[in-house]
Amino acid sequence: MNEQSTLEVVAAEIRATLGIAGDAPIRSESLLFYDLSFTSLDMLDLLFRVESHFQIAIPEGTFYELTKGVLADNDFAQEGMLTPKGRERLLVLLYDSPPKIFPERIHIKTFLRYCTVGAIVRLVDYKLKMKVRD
Amino acid sequence: MFEFIQSIAMVPEAGKATGEAVVPSERPMLADHFPGVPILPGSLLIELAAQIAGPLAEEMVKLRYGLNRWAILGMVRDAKFIQPVPLPAGLKLTAEVRRCEAASVVLQVSVEDRGQLALRGELVMMMVETTPDWEGAIRARNERLAKWRAVR
Repeated sequence: MNEQSTLEVVAAEIRATLGIAGDAPIRSESLLFYDLSFTSLDMLDLLFRVESHFQIAIPEGTFYELTKGVLADNDFAQEGMLTPKGRERLLVLLYDSPPKIFPERIHIKTFLRYCTVGAIVRLVDYKLKMKVRD
Repeated sequence: MFEFIQSIAMVPEAGKATGEAVVPSERPMLADHFPGVPILPGSLLIELAAQIAGPLAEEMVKLRYGLNRWAILGMVRDAKFIQPVPLPAGLKLTAEVRRCEAASVVLQVSVEDRGQLALRGELVMMMVETTPDWEGAIRARNERLAKWRAVR
């Protein structure tokens, strides 16, 4: 599935999550929490929906692990907050989110707050790729 | 709010719980729903299912992650009210875990009235960390569960 069609599905699931009209524009660069007024429950609902649609698993901690990559736990975060290296990795992963929305100190449980629609599309495409590989 | 549940039996290893509830017709809060034709409100059916699902979710998270968390109903992702429940009612409640994570538990729930399915739904319990001011609530929950379990 190419990115455009993943985007279309993710956009449809966002509309369903928020209960908004089918023709309401959802753009790749829209920030879920800032532009679309997502709550953490909406995010959970959206992830359940895309899991179900694409038959993929996005367990708790997925985003943490993807962001951490090969960094050691202590290099990535300390006492629940990202280290400078960890923060740098998050900004690379979320390259399409405006840097100004990221606070200086970022809690590890808040990554999803900074996601664009496009970041969710990339996550889905990554999971689909892993699924094919398995 | 919890007085309708009569009993609960949980098997966290299997991710399942069953319970029984009895709802009389003469409660003031139900009196106008509806005069002469008392029917249990659908929102109360959901609440009763959640009262079984919540303790199961807490047991599951304790078993799987070693965490003592408090279950709060976060989402009703799906609910079908298959038939009205006339009052008074004796209900059989079931909950089955579909997904268990430290922060949330998804459960399939159902309610039967007189052997007929009345509600089928999917609930998401958010598993929150408690603070010292929850002490009274936790004590009440533990007493309630002990009473419900003793009936079995």
